[in-house]
Formats: sequence, structure tokens, C-alpha cells
Amino acid sequence: MSNQRSVKTRRGAYIALLASMVSVPMAVAAYKLYVLDYPLAGLIPAPSYTVEVAMQVDGHGEDIRIQTYLPKTDGRQSVDNEESSSGVFVPNMHSDPLNREVTWNAENVVGQHNIRYAYSVRAHHVRFDIPEGMPIPESYPVALAPYLADEPGIHKDDPQIESAVNRIVPAENRTMLDVLTRIHRHLQDNIANRNFSGYTDSLIALKLGEASCNGKSRLFVAMARKLNIPARLIGGFVMEQGSKRTSHQWVEVYVNGHWVPFDTINDHFAEIPANYLTLYYGDQALFRHTANVNFQYMFKTTKQLVPQRDAQDALSQSALNITNLYAHFERVGISQNLLKILLMLPLGALVTVVFRNVVGLETFGTFLPALIAAAARETGLMWGVVGFLGIVLVSAVIRRGLDWMQLLHSPKMAIVLTTVVIVMMATTVGGVQLGLFELAHVTLFPIAILAITAERVALMEAEQGALKVARITLMTLIVIAACYAVMDSLFMQSLVLAFPELLLVVVALNLWLGKWIGIRVMEFMRFRRLILEAAK
Amino acid sequence: MMALRAWWSRLEEVRKHAGKVLAMNRRNLHYIYTRNQRKHFPLADDKLLAKEVLIAAGVSMPRTHRVYSYFYELRDLEADLGAYEDFVIKPAQGSGGNGIIVIVGRKGDDWVGISGKIYTAFDLRKHISDIIFGIYSFDLGDRAIIESRILQHAEMTELSPLGLADVRIIMCDEKPVMSMTRVPTRQSDGKANLHQGALGVAIDIASGITTHAQFLGQPIAKHPDTGIAVLGRRLPFWTEVIELAERAAQAVPLKYLGVDISISPDGPLLLEINVRPGLEIQNVNGRGMLPVLEAITADEEVRDEQ
Repeated sequence: MSNQRSVKTRRGAYIALLASMVSVPMAVAAYKLYVLDYPLAGLIPAPSYTVEVAMQVDGHGEDIRIQTYLPKTDGRQSVDNEESSSGVFVPNMHSDPLNREVTWNAENVVGQHNIRYAYSVRAHHVRFDIPEGMPIPESYPVALAPYLADEPGIHKDDPQIESAVNRIVPAENRTMLDVLTRIHRHLQDNIANRNFSGYTDSLIALKLGEASCNGKSRLFVAMARKLNIPARLIGGFVMEQGSKRTSHQWVEVYVNGHWVPFDTINDHFAEIPANYLTLYYGDQALFRHTANVNFQYMFKTTKQLVPQRDAQDALSQSALNITNLYAHFERVGISQNLLKILLMLPLGALVTVVFRNVVGLETFGTFLPALIAAAARETGLMWGVVGFLGIVLVSAVIRRGLDWMQLLHSPKMAIVLTTVVIVMMATTVGGVQLGLFELAHVTLFPIAILAITAERVALMEAEQGALKVARITLMTLIVIAACYAVMDSLFMQSLVLAFPELLLVVVALNLWLGKWIGIRVMEFMRFRRLILEAAK
Repeated sequence: MMALRAWWSRLEEVRKHAGKVLAMNRRNLHYIYTRNQRKHFPLADDKLLAKEVLIAAGVSMPRTHRVYSYFYELRDLEADLGAYEDFVIKPAQGSGGNGIIVIVGRKGDDWVGISGKIYTAFDLRKHISDIIFGIYSFDLGDRAIIESRILQHAEMTELSPLGLADVRIIMCDEKPVMSMTRVPTRQSDGKANLHQGALGVAIDIASGITTHAQFLGQPIAKHPDTGIAVLGRRLPFWTEVIELAERAAQAVPLKYLGVDISISPDGPLLLEINVRPGLEIQNVNGRGMLPVLEAITADEEVRDEQ
């Protein structure tokens, strides 16, 4: 009777704990979102591009000058982490309201020289709506006069441009939207895209009926100006993962106080995507350099996801925030990065629990996969796995040798650990010697985790054999990769940093999994004859 | 639509049959944790402790000739062992049949193992030292037991000519749930361990008649080495086997158990008890054991309420 009462009390306590582990964090999170106005969108990591411009020249004793444009931060794109290396060349920056120009000069240059300039970029997609029926203004402020003028390459006043405009656009009821749509469609549909890098002016593009980006853009600008719509050329670059030499040009048209982008190569009407990088305004050449120096260049772009720093900084202004707590940790020298690893460990442990109790994989220790995934955050997944396999192999081999000598357990394990440490240090030295700097990071693998892994592997190899160790190593690797994917996810990190109370939900999930008595996936396979054949 | 319905009803059917299999999570949570308190685990892990308790409760087990706990005790090993015609050496905390040597007789100064292998006094001293050293146990150090050798009943030898077969009975709340006999094969190297390739033969608890058999994960009807039919045999002393298993289950505070028994010409002898009995017995029997377990626990609830 009393036994039954204690069972009931225990079940009541379980349900109460489970309910509070769900409701308390949800209530705190809701309070932050609705009362404190946490920006939720700021938690989603944004794509960021690292662009590296590599330039090369061959000198034969002459003075060399190289000029190009650097991107500026504006309302659509933000540029930071700029760094450069230019060797013998001396850089000289020049900014005007529109463009940022850099010139590298060097005297009496002999032999091959490289200049490298890198920066990271985050940019937004923009899109404008041009109101229907909006008329084309008859006059503009004086400052816009240059964007309506005839200039070399943009033959606004040429009769051929005029007749082409009259063919495309009806004489009556010219509205902004209608005119721009007709020009855009004509250039997109009737002038073929040609992928060559030479200079094409507006007349040649019109005559040939085909052009690359610069010819089409000049023709667009000439036609718009002819119709009394201010327009200008934009020089830039489409950021895509990989290396390439092609830059890009598109146009901007002045509509109702805004410069509105158009790209008739890739059919963007009054919009440009987030991976367009603006480098300069006007009909300029991206690179200018001294002649006959065999100038070569290459754009190398890497895309990555980064947390939205500004949104996270905004969070720290609110009360009830973990970022306020960070100050306490920083005072004793614990970095935010370490704190992040600590906060992600419970998630790694949860992933491990799911793989063990729901999927049915066996791993070395309950939390070893989560710990190894945390360690691999410093080295990257690949070198983390290499480090882990190295430890498994070295400890197994060493233990075998020591067994043959018949030593007591603890001193034997101490020798295994020492050997692992020596091998890791040798790996780092070897990595640096060979120029494999990523390999050198293996030493960042925390020693405490090495100790646990080495001991587990050695014990299991002795008790259950090498085949079993190989099987469990494979399964542990799968779980490490899954833990890494979750723990390294910027979204999860931002989420837990902003809402650390969600760790209680992890407890709730574990409470639930702790009572889950279903058949594990691997067991379903093991008993499939009993289950599937009986069900036929 | 019809296809979907057929698929759905098959899924329901699969769920129903999956629900009959006792799986790891449920075994641990509902049977091991609730019925076997951790403080009682040493009773099952330490064969000498278990033997003490079980023999005191009148459970028949092989006779213990000697126990070696320290190296100095091995001084007069040859004289000690000379007193017995045949015997078994085993670690007190071993598992999976590892570290067991069966001696069947003497040849000059040496001993003859069951496989015909010759052991010198040095070999046996080395083996017993290894056991004391803890090579076969999870702990750091162990004790070596010298026991009387069990002779197998003739009918069991017919079924299992390559070594000693044991009968495994799962006991829940002192009642038998499912049983099988594990028959050593050439593949298993004389060991009665399913994972090492022993033949598993299911036995009907009520009648003692063999019903299914499994070898290396596949159903089989004949012994893979001798070709002898293994199904439809009635095991000798079956009533006594079940009685022995029940007496052993009553003698210990562990209420979810695997009981291992060997059948000698004079009747069954208990070999050991296991607190975490495996689940493979269900594949050997070709059915899940959850319905039987639930029937046992449902009976108890009815009794509790009366």
C-alpha cells in the first residue's frame, strides 16, 4: 500500500518537474520576446563573403603604377576586415563622395610581384517598386546633369540611338514604369548576352544586337538619358564561392529620388541580389596599370555564415540577458568562445542520448562524442576526427605492447596517456615542418579528453577485442559528426546565447527520453524476423 | 487509397508485433532497475558470493574444491590439484565463459584438457596467476575457483557432443518466462556463447520440449556439426530444472534474472545467475517475451488489490 503511494508520489514529481522544465523557460523566452522586444530575426546567421583580389605584375626595371577601386560601406553593403599585402608597392588611397580608389606605386620594379587585397562583405538584396502611371519628370536638379549627358561610349545624342528609342517606346503617354520596362525587356530579350571581356560602346551593342555586360549597360544608360531619365553605370562583382576573373557591370536609374538598379544580363528589374558587390560608380575601368607589365588578377570568394553581431550586441542591452553574465566570466579570463562551448555541451549530450537510446548506436562513454565534438570545434571536424582516430590507434597499439610486459593497470594507463601526448606534439611539429598548419591544430585537442578516450579504448580492446573497438569507433564517429553539426550550428549557438533558459528544455527532453521504452532502431533490425515475418 | 489502407494496416500489424518484443530500454527501466537493486549486483557478479547464498538455500551447484586468492597460495599447486581426477578452473568474476579450463584427466605429470590439449603444471600455474591478476575480470584482481567437473546427462550429450550445454531460463518475480539451451559448436570453439557462434535451442517451459533453434542468426533444425535433429526433443529432468531455477530465484533478492543450469546424470546443477540477461533468447524462441512478462506482472497486480 505504502509502496503504491510512493510510486504515485514519484510519478507526480516526475510530471511536475517535466512540466516546469518546459513551461518556465518558455515563459522566460516569451517575456524576452514580447516585453523586452528581443529581435528574433537577429538570431539567424547571415551569409558573409570574404573576397580576395590577387594581382600580379612582371617588372623589367620600370616604374609601375596600378589603380583599382575598393568597395564602400553604404546602405546596402557593409565592408570590413580589410587587409592587404603589397610588398614593394606603396599604397595610396583616394576617396571622393562616390568612389574609393587605391593606387599602388613602385619604382624600378624587376621580376614578378604580387599585391593582395582582402575584405569581408555582407550585403542585402534590394528591390524597388516603381509606381504605375508615374510620369517622367521634365527637369531635374542641376547636380543630376552629368547623368543626362552624352559622353564617350554612351552616345545619347546619336540619331541611331534616337530612332531605336522611338522604335521601342511609343510616342504618347510615356510613363516611368512603362519606359523602363520596355528598355529592360528589349535589352534582355533582343540583345543577346555575350560573354567576352572587351569594351563595347552603346552604338556597337545596338548594331551587333549582342553584347557583354558593359555594352548592354552603356546602351541602357544611353537610351534612358535620351528619354530624360538620369542613369549611370555601376562597376562591381558577383560574389560566388570560388575563383574567377570576370567583374560585372549594371546600371542605376534615378527614380523619384532613388537610384534604382537594373541588370539586363541576369534579368534583374529594379532589384539586385545580395551577392552583388558595388565597387565603383561611373564609366570607369576596374583596373588601370602601366602598360606591358603582364598584369594578371583574380577574385577569390569564400562564402560563410556569420552571427549577426549587431543584433547580438543589441541583446546585451536588455536586462535578463546572458551577455550581461559574460562580463563576470571575462573578469576571470574565461573567453566567450569557451562559454559558448560550455553552453553547447548539453545539446551535444542530448544528441548522444538520442543516438544511444533511440537509434541504438554504442559509443565510447556516454558523453565522449559530445566532448570530442566540442574539442573538434577548435580544429574543424576533419582534424578532430583525425585526432580521435589517432588516439584510438596509438592507445590500442601501446596497450598491446605493455600487456606483453605485464604491468599493473594504473601505471600502464599513465604510459598510454604519455605516449598519446608525445605523438600529438610530434604531429604538431611535423605539421608545421610540412606546412600543414591545420594538422598542427591537433594539439588543441584537450588533454583530459585524450585521457578518457585512451583509457576507454584500452579497456575495451582488452575485454572485448579489436573488432568490437573498430565497430564502436565507427559508431562513435557517426555520433561525433552529428554532435558537431548541432554544436557548430551558428543558429543553435545564437539561440542558446540569447535564450540560455532553453537548456531547461534540454533537461525536459532528457526526462522524457529517460522514460522512453520504445524499440531502438538497431533493435528493430535485430528482431526484424520476430516483428516483420510475424506481421506478414 | 486501397494501397494506402493496406500499407497502414501492415504498419499496425508491425507495431503490434514490435510491441511483443522486450527491448533494451524497457528491459532496463521496467525490469532491471525496478527489480534488481544495485546494491545486490555483487551477488550475481561474484560467483563465490552467489554460491555461498545459493547453497545455503539448498540450491544444487558443482562442489568447490579450492579457491585461490593470492599468489603465495599457489606454492603447493601440483599437490593440491593431484587430489582430483577431473576439475574445472574458472575466474570468480569472469563473464562470457572466458578464462575457463576443463581438465578431464592426467597423463603422466601433466593434465589433459577436454579438447585433448595437454597442460603442464607450469601452464596451470600461469593460468591461475592470470585469473588472480584480474585478466578475465572487470576489476583489478580476482580469485580463481577450482570446481568439480560436471558430467553431462547422456541425452544432453547426444544433443551437444562438443561440450557442456547450459540451459538459460529468464526468471521474473520467481517465475520462468522463457528458456533455451546453448549448445557449443565448432564455430564457438566449445563455448556456450551465442555471440561466439553457439547453437541456441528454444525450450517450451511447460513441456521441456525443444521448439526452435538458431545458429549464427539463422533458423536451423539440425546441429550444424553433427547433423542431429535438435527440435522436438524432451530435455531430461525438466521438472527438476524448473524447480531448481525457481529455488535459486527465491534465494536471492534479485527479481529479474537469467539462471544458467547444467543437466548431469544425477539431476540439474545451477552454474550461475545473471542480473542483465540478454535479449537474444527471443530470436532463438522465434517470439517476443513481453506478453509472458506482462501476464506475470498483471497476476501480481490482481493479487495486490485483493
